[in-house]
Amino acid sequence: MSEWSNWSGSVRFTPAAVVVPENEEELARIIRRAGDEKQTVRVSGAGHSSTPLVQTPDILVSMKNFNGFVARDGATIAIRGGTMLTEANEIFLEHGLALENLGDVDLQALAGAIGTGTHGTGRNLRTMSNHLVGGRLVNGKGEIVDFSIKDDPDFTLAARVALGTLGIFTELRLKLVPAFHLHRKEWCTHIEDCMVNLDKLIASNRNFDFYWYPRSDEAKLRTLNIPGTGPKDIPYAWCQKERTGWSGDVIPRSRGNKFDEIEYWLPIENGPPCFEEIRQRIKDVHRKDVGWRVLYRTVAADEAMLSGAYGRASATISMHHNASLPHDAFFRDIEPYLTKYGGRPHWGKKHYQTATNLKQLYPRWDHFQGIRRSMDPEGVFMNAYLRTIFEEG
Amino acid sequence: MGRKVWMISAGRIPLRSTGREPENTSRDELCFLNVGYREAQVKVTLFYADREPVGPYKLDIPPRRIRRVRVNNLINPEAPPLDTDYGAVIESNVPIVVQFERTDTSESKPAMSPMMAFAT
Ligand SMILES: Cc1cc2nc3c(=O)[nH]c(=O)nc-3n(C[C@H](O)[C@H](O)[C@H](O)COP(=O)(O)OP(=O)(O)OC[C@H]3O[C@@H](n4cnc5c(N)ncnc54)[C@H](O)[C@@H]3O)c2cc1C
Repeated sequence: MSEWSNWSGSVRFTPAAVVVPENEEELARIIRRAGDEKQTVRVSGAGHSSTPLVQTPDILVSMKNFNGFVARDGATIAIRGGTMLTEANEIFLEHGLALENLGDVDLQALAGAIGTGTHGTGRNLRTMSNHLVGGRLVNGKGEIVDFSIKDDPDFTLAARVALGTLGIFTELRLKLVPAFHLHRKEWCTHIEDCMVNLDKLIASNRNFDFYWYPRSDEAKLRTLNIPGTGPKDIPYAWCQKERTGWSGDVIPRSRGNKFDEIEYWLPIENGPPCFEEIRQRIKDVHRKDVGWRVLYRTVAADEAMLSGAYGRASATISMHHNASLPHDAFFRDIEPYLTKYGGRPHWGKKHYQTATNLKQLYPRWDHFQGIRRSMDPEGVFMNAYLRTIFEEG
Repeated sequence: MGRKVWMISAGRIPLRSTGREPENTSRDELCFLNVGYREAQVKVTLFYADREPVGPYKLDIPPRRIRRVRVNNLINPEAPPLDTDYGAVIESNVPIVVQFERTDTSESKPAMSPMMAFAT
């Protein structure tokens, strides 16, 4: 078998088999057989996570045959479980609908992005996972489960961010919003001007985030607003670029340069002091090797059991490092600054937490684990890494 | 006017800076002059004492313009380490002129040392 690698190259493994099921029944048979033979089954999306979520010595499932539109009911679209996000955005737009927000890229699988609670930025905008109102999955017993927020609210709140541990989605049902245009602007300023005005910047733009450049103390501000709304000028910043278009075209950007990343979700009020400590630490200790910018975003609170924004409006802070350079010492040194402020790690990015700490951070942790065990009693979907984050040793 | 290949052998970005940045950031800068009528597409490769070269860093210099680029800010494919000796080979598709300037603010009084890159 050939080696599997994630996007950045920092996770590599060779599964015994890569299976590409044609339909739900075949997928169910694969999972049942794996259960009988005590094998581990993982499903990959686009491999954009940098934690070993999809690693398995046994069976890796590719959902590339599960692709495209299924049905529409008002603002709810059913889409097949292996559809890539770029294609999903096109399908939504054909129906005059859109996701409320997106992250920095649209290269993930929709189920992969949902599976780790992928988010964009915006004080009133929730993660992509919150669009999930139902779907179908094949659980660890090889059963096909059809669920909806109306009939199974708790199950749906667990399924919204589940790291592929409840089952493999064969269909996702997403409640969307009418398609909309956004006016995107990128501005340059000094980080100190940005921080003094941060609350106002967050409050006055639909989507606002900033990058801080550790080797110059400059900041790039990104604002996205419904055309005709939002501030026209930012007196202490100059606009470098602007563009208007459909949300799915202007929010994501393409990324060529490979990196690894650590990102944490903090209670929103803890964002600024945490960022300032990290800024100082990077300048004092890491500037010799670290050139990548630090990204600061905001996300609205939600109810998904394992969401980083569960029960609290959040600020997220992420550090990046070139994929060709060693990131471990840098990320390990910065992580305590994030945990000290009550941070929760992004499930798809580097972190060094285990179940003992993680369970303290999510009020509905035990509830989620109960649902997970009922869906996968034999642990067919549990790899060694997932055991360290879900099971106390 | 100019040359297509330039070289620098005395690169070393000072680690410490004093004063408000970015104006006071200690830095190495590549200063490009393109007097021609075509955009210069420039590839920079950095060489080190103890590991393989890194590059190319791709830069564009518009026709009939100058451009200054801080080596500190290069990121793709990799952030160059500060406080580390390096050399650079700069290759352009059209003739250009390259100068190299170091600004060192590690002491409170900034020191500047402009140098000519070596052309072949
Ligand atoms: C360049 C880049 C930019 C990024 N930008 C952002 C950003 O702006 N915001 C943000 O929050 N994150 C961001 N991320 C992180 C990324 O969105 C997440 O890691 C996401 O989970 C990756 O999706 P994927 O399709 O690659 O899934 P994978 O990484 O392949 O898998 C992620 C999880 O989803 C599960 N999964 C995949 N398919 C299915 C299925 N059919 N059924 C059940 N489970 C499934 C997998 O088992 C795994 O647990 C970025 C990552 C990169 C590399």
